[in-house]
Amino acid sequence: MGAQEEGEEVPHEINAIGISFGNSNSSIAYTSSEGKAEVIANEEGDRYIPSILSYIEGEEYHGTQAKSQLVRNSQNTVAYFRDYLGKDFDSIDPTPCHASAHPKKHESTVAFSIQDTESDSQNDVTVSEITTRHIRRLASSASDYLGKKVNAAVISVPTNFTEAQKEAMTKASQAAGVQLLQMISEPTAAVLAYDARSDAEIKDKIIVVADFGGTRSDIGVIASRGGMYSILSTSHDYETAGAQLDQLLIDHFAKEFIKKNKTDPRQKPKSLAKLKLEAEATKKALSLGGNASLSIESLADGVDFASTINRTRYEMLAAKIFGSLTRMIEDTVRKADLDILDVDEVILSGGTSHTPRISQNLQRLFSPKTRILSPSTLPTAIDPSSLAARGAAIQASLISEFDKEDIEQSTHPMVTVTPHLRNAIGVMVVSDDTKKGLFTALVEKETAVPCRRAGIFAAPREGGDVMVKVCEGARDIKVTKKEKAKTNGKAASDDSDLDSDDEEDEEEIREKIWKVGTVLAEAAIKGVKKGGKVEVTVHVGADLGVVVTAREVGAKGGVRGNLDKPRLVENGSA
Amino acid sequence: MAAVQISLPLPVLPQGWTEEKDFKPIGQLSSATQRNIEPVGPHFLAHARRKRHKRTFSEDER
Ligand SMILES: Nc1ncnc2c1ncn2[C@@H]1O[C@H](COP(=O)(O)OP(=O)(O)OP(=O)(O)O)[C@@H](O)[C@H]1O
Ligand SMILES: [Mg+2]
Repeated sequence: MGAQEEGEEVPHEINAIGISFGNSNSSIAYTSSEGKAEVIANEEGDRYIPSILSYIEGEEYHGTQAKSQLVRNSQNTVAYFRDYLGKDFDSIDPTPCHASAHPKKHESTVAFSIQDTESDSQNDVTVSEITTRHIRRLASSASDYLGKKVNAAVISVPTNFTEAQKEAMTKASQAAGVQLLQMISEPTAAVLAYDARSDAEIKDKIIVVADFGGTRSDIGVIASRGGMYSILSTSHDYETAGAQLDQLLIDHFAKEFIKKNKTDPRQKPKSLAKLKLEAEATKKALSLGGNASLSIESLADGVDFASTINRTRYEMLAAKIFGSLTRMIEDTVRKADLDILDVDEVILSGGTSHTPRISQNLQRLFSPKTRILSPSTLPTAIDPSSLAARGAAIQASLISEFDKEDIEQSTHPMVTVTPHLRNAIGVMVVSDDTKKGLFTALVEKETAVPCRRAGIFAAPREGGDVMVKVCEGARDIKVTKKEKAKTNGKAASDDSDLDSDDEEDEEEIREKIWKVGTVLAEAAIKGVKKGGKVEVTVHVGADLGVVVTAREVGAKGGVRGNLDKPRLVENGSA
Repeated sequence: MAAVQISLPLPVLPQGWTEEKDFKPIGQLSSATQRNIEPVGPHFLAHARRKRHKRTFSEDER
């Protein structure tokens, strides 16, 4: 191909990493020779690198060093810019940049007016240029760490990143000397980070990825089928995230300060900036311990400030915000036409997901069978702040050997847009009530075709001739009402404070059941030996034609039959 | 994916059930929904390879 053509570059070694690039923080990761994703610490030892650049007399500061410049040099400090990339000024929300360099209109894009050289002049630096500088710094940290020049990356981006934003990201990355191999969505990256663990079992499951960050919260509901992922629904909230939790603590401490000193530290930009940095640190400390202290030298009017807060108090202050995050998940599950009971796993991603209360609330919302993957609910959970970068690093290692053309073809809608099953396909088995059959799903709904699933079924104890009845099934929710056990006349000391005592006498028990749908086929397996087993395979073709095979395990022959394809295919929403 | 194990037994073949080649096709699948698969992960790459080369599962395993 191209390599021999005139003017083409000689193929060079590709050293690819994974980058997660958030409005608040970025992370870089690589995949080790053992196939394990590892997050890289930069020169300062940070694995979570604030996505901030700051300039003093022409010198560029990055990450944590730049973040600390928000106090004294806020006008030359650029922060929270990722979402502005590829957008025009009229469509952005400048609020997050309130206390740093303000975004402004610049031709068809967004720029920041900063003093980024030794001279006194203000320069308009576009968000694309800022992104290039940021990626250059990230790649350089990764190159230092790995001891070889990083020249390619997979970057994770939100599910609602537009084509224009992706194009801008590609260009900005290219300009930093980093070839952008692929952009993958943040929730998918998080799922991949878990699935790539050596002990992970590939199973069909419904996963909710709840990404709670600094300036935004994003939910994605994903059908994971045979290690392939389809996004069923998403939602985004820019008003309920880490910054709002910081604000609660800022207000809390400010009030305390006012009581003693009669000045509001929130009125002075420098005081507010100090308070914000420390409030955030206090908030993080409360994820680990029951108490956290805060101490700020010369907070306002030269007065020092020190205080403590315990977790219970914080959780009371934040109860409303935590409640909204839970509700956001419920809404997104509903948007996917699913029930809470359909969710097998919740992956908590993003910095705010370290908050124990958030995952505890989710434990209460979901059934005990649902796995909540977060540090406070599962000891083996992966650090939520690192998931997107790890996933990106794994994808990078998978495709770094591919030609550009190969990647483009594989990610083309011709390949990615695929019919997904509307109902489960399964086989009828005998339940305790021998008159009634039970549906056992082999292929779950929302599985992309072509697909193949097999099940090994028990036969009646004595063996003999058995029936394999293949059907479609739809999940239904059965609700039964049960009298609630009375707690000695006293209202149960539940913390659901809004429920009135008398109305909740009945308890609802909700469970998943299968409703048998269209019968697809019947097959007979004759003369199964005593204690024998029957393997049934359902193979759905790309055209939705079905091939069913059934045979006794260990025996020769068996049955095989075809079902014609149905007529029409409809469009999905997500 | 590996075969799942189901412990509840299959029903006994009803008396008098006969069909040519022991297989009776009855219905067809309901319609499907067109969705995007995320182009991510090793299993997707195998899917893409099959789709682009119009290969089947068993050919792919060879
Ligand atoms: N241990 C912790 N406990 C509670 N909150 C934390 C913890 N660590 C980080 N955070 C918060 O997480 C947020 C940053 O999350 P993350 O790094 O995922 O954001 P991002 O994706 O870069 O940003 P954005 O959501 O703005 O695009 C900040 O509000 C930070 O204070
Ligand atoms: Mg994020």
